[in-house]
Amino acid sequence: MKKKWFMVIWVVWVLAWLSGCATVETSKKVPYKLSPQGTVIWQDEFEFMPPPPDWKLLIVEEEGDINFGFTRADPGQFPSTTSFAYDEEPFGSSTKLEEREREFFKRFLFNAILQFQVLEKRKTQVLGGEGLEVVAEGKDLVKGEKVRAKVVFGKRGERIVGFYITQWRPINGTYELSAFEIFDKFVHSFKFLKKSFYETL
Amino acid sequence: MEGHQRNLDLYDRFNARVLGVSRDDVTTLKYWAKSLDLTFPLLSNITAFLGAYFDIQPEGQPIFGRRTVIIDKKGVIRYVRDGSPDFKDILLFLKKLNQEGGKP
Repeated sequence: MKKKWFMVIWVVWVLAWLSGCATVETSKKVPYKLSPQGTVIWQDEFEFMPPPPDWKLLIVEEEGDINFGFTRADPGQFPSTTSFAYDEEPFGSSTKLEEREREFFKRFLFNAILQFQVLEKRKTQVLGGEGLEVVAEGKDLVKGEKVRAKVVFGKRGERIVGFYITQWRPINGTYELSAFEIFDKFVHSFKFLKKSFYETL
Repeated sequence: MEGHQRNLDLYDRFNARVLGVSRDDVTTLKYWAKSLDLTFPLLSNITAFLGAYFDIQPEGQPIFGRRTVIIDKKGVIRYVRDGSPDFKDILLFLKKLNQEGGKP
């Protein structure tokens, strides 16, 4: 009899625990939905082509602005990782593309203390207007690490927004450029579905 | 501070001016402003009396706490928030204040 009661209590406890999990799961809102075309609608504000499913979603909330992106662990030794993101407020303050690029690279990955070299810089069309695309490589010979980065600056109203991808590798590692093509698809599919806070102020 | 720099034209639209206050010395602030391309004034208050005035001087520490204060044209403190500035909240408040005619 005692054993039967124990079983009943155990089942009730498990059911209560599972229903608790279900409650948590259903109340958790995701900030995006998928469109029938396979694009992601983010907070009813942005639309873009997502990367393949092996990329994990990254959300960083800072100073009231939500920036988001995707990350993937690459095969190979540490620090083999690739991440890319959309940034509503990239480093710097200028509303001129070239000037903002100069300001941005003063602080981009500044914690890593890398020596950056710009490999390529060109004007591009992004977000329905003129943009600036910069490919750079940073190296840390002491830690034996390197990073290849591509940054695309574009405009949202008067303000500059940014997209960037970083691919970290050991210093003698090889970059996988197909990840940059996925990033390019993300950037060039990116659309604003409504005006920004600053445009409506 | 970069956030304030980005918003200078909007502050201007709402008749507001921004000032930064720190306990750092003038030389440090000049270097810092240059490194961040800041064009608005930064005040050096090494004696910390402004920290005491605005109640942001933690006891026994050589730095101020982080606080955003909006003062209207009559010198009345109208907005106080601690921590990192919420720029959207600040801009909405300035817009409202400007519409009221209580220009900061």
